[in-house]
Amino acid sequence: MSEHKKVYLQPIPVRIWHWVNAFGIITLTVSGAQIRFPETLHILPSYRAAIQVHNVAGLIVAVSFTLWFFYYAMVRNSLDKLYIPDEEDIKHGIFRQLAYYCFFYFLGRPSPFHAMPESKFNPMQKSAYMAVMFLLMPLVSLTGILLMNVTPLRVFILVWGGIKMIDALHFLLACSLVAFLFTHVYLATLGPTPLAYIKPMFTGWEDLPEHEEEAAQTTLPGYRPVRHYPEYKGVQGEHKGG
Amino acid sequence: MKTFLMGQIAGFSIALALAGATLCFAGQGPGYSFGSPAGKSDPCLGCHAVKGKVPATAFVDPQQFAHTTHARIGCPACHDGVSPNHPNSVKTPRAECRECHADIKAEYDRSIHAGKTSCAGCHNPHRVETPKEISGAQINQMCSGCHDNFRMTAKHSEWLPQAELHLRMLPCITCHTASKSYFISMYIVKGHNGDLFGKQEVAGYQDLLKLAPKGKLVSLIDSNGDGFVSLQELRDFNARSRRTSLHLQGMMTPQTVTHKFEILDSRRNCTFCHASGPTAQQESFVALPLQDGTFRRVPVERGAVLGVLYGAPDFYMMGSTKSSRMNLIGAAIICCGLIMPVGHGFLRFLTRKNRK
Repeated sequence: MSEHKKVYLQPIPVRIWHWVNAFGIITLTVSGAQIRFPETLHILPSYRAAIQVHNVAGLIVAVSFTLWFFYYAMVRNSLDKLYIPDEEDIKHGIFRQLAYYCFFYFLGRPSPFHAMPESKFNPMQKSAYMAVMFLLMPLVSLTGILLMNVTPLRVFILVWGGIKMIDALHFLLACSLVAFLFTHVYLATLGPTPLAYIKPMFTGWEDLPEHEEEAAQTTLPGYRPVRHYPEYKGVQGEHKGG
Repeated sequence: MKTFLMGQIAGFSIALALAGATLCFAGQGPGYSFGSPAGKSDPCLGCHAVKGKVPATAFVDPQQFAHTTHARIGCPACHDGVSPNHPNSVKTPRAECRECHADIKAEYDRSIHAGKTSCAGCHNPHRVETPKEISGAQINQMCSGCHDNFRMTAKHSEWLPQAELHLRMLPCITCHTASKSYFISMYIVKGHNGDLFGKQEVAGYQDLLKLAPKGKLVSLIDSNGDGFVSLQELRDFNARSRRTSLHLQGMMTPQTVTHKFEILDSRRNCTFCHASGPTAQQESFVALPLQDGTFRRVPVERGAVLGVLYGAPDFYMMGSTKSSRMNLIGAAIICCGLIMPVGHGFLRFLTRKNRK
């Protein structure tokens, strides 16, 4: 029988931000699709409604992104630690996680990584989120702001090579975000149970079955403890103690 | 002097009789010809085409006048019975526009402009140009004489998103007159004072002549001089113009221009313009300035404004000028995002027993 250890993973501001973003991005996707394909999609009652909804949702997501950035960068001081893969991640972590997703998962082995408040993301998540949060989100917001204010920001549009360039960039970045969304939602169901990774985004707490950590150490071939992985702490403690 | 004037009046009368006869024939339909303007207005233009010799309001720009159809009928056709002692206090007679343009007048009288202003409120008969001879941007200058830009923007903002952009990038007549089809009228704009990112204004003949190879302005965009701009020529122009302050600007312009100005409720539905789909917005022209201040329309290969990026990089109408190729790239990106859920999910389903 597994003994459940709980960890407080997602503080309230992060949860609020996550769901504001989630609803915002879904709204933006739906309204954006209608704006681009008005002859085939009639989800919102009118084209004007689609534009207004898209603008409001876009502003909410852009403001929410800015708040999130300052919260992590200045209040929590953990933006770089959480989102930028370190040397160990690049050398081993990403490959280990990839091997887990592509191979060991199907054999029923546990994940080599457990989220902790100070290291919430596995090396692959870190790389993906880094691209999403530091590249896709700022760029899609910036291009969106330019498209919302074509006349006042005309000079900036010309700097980027014209409105068609801005629109193409906005559209392709949005498609990339949608692609990410599918992968993100699917990967969220890959926990010990399908809802194990989703629950903490509502309650804040994630269950950590003890036996999984032990199993991870013994069962994965070529497994080496990695800094900031939970078991590495134990190794560090032993070194310090000894 | 008196004999001279009498001679002139007699000449005018003959010209008027001829013009009258021609007009009777002309009234039957478009495509009429009044012959050459040569000599028909010379006695009048001797004074009226010289700045300073006549009051500013009576000045007639000879170049612009020569270009009009009115020059072909000559001054006396409209100003019949000028006093023999002209100039004097006797008011110069003027013909009513409706005497020739009865059909347009009837149409105009059914519009919301009726009674608000006369033909001369918008058109100067001495420099009147057909819609083909002006760039899209100039069409609105006629309207802004009465309709203050600032007030109009505020009024349209009540319901129209990005009203300022719409009012700047669309001829008023696109929404306020009915037309069955539309084309994209492209024209070259330049940054103010040649500044790359300066305020955009329509580039004039002299501005472009400096940049045109061999002094032939049309070769600036129609490099092989065949009177037709291919997509490649358009792309080349756009690639070159990125280094200069020149940009191609586009306007959705009605194919048929009428004088029945109205408030069309269908235009309040954004999809009237924004959901034409890839089959529309195919036809376009580039309006190139001519030395006499008018413009020459050069046809452009179909689908130019739908080009991925370089067809008309600074002209985009949401929902209707989207590139199909860009849509395919977007779909491919979204499909990449489905690889994980579909592919991994399938293997996950097959190996579900291993995780029990």
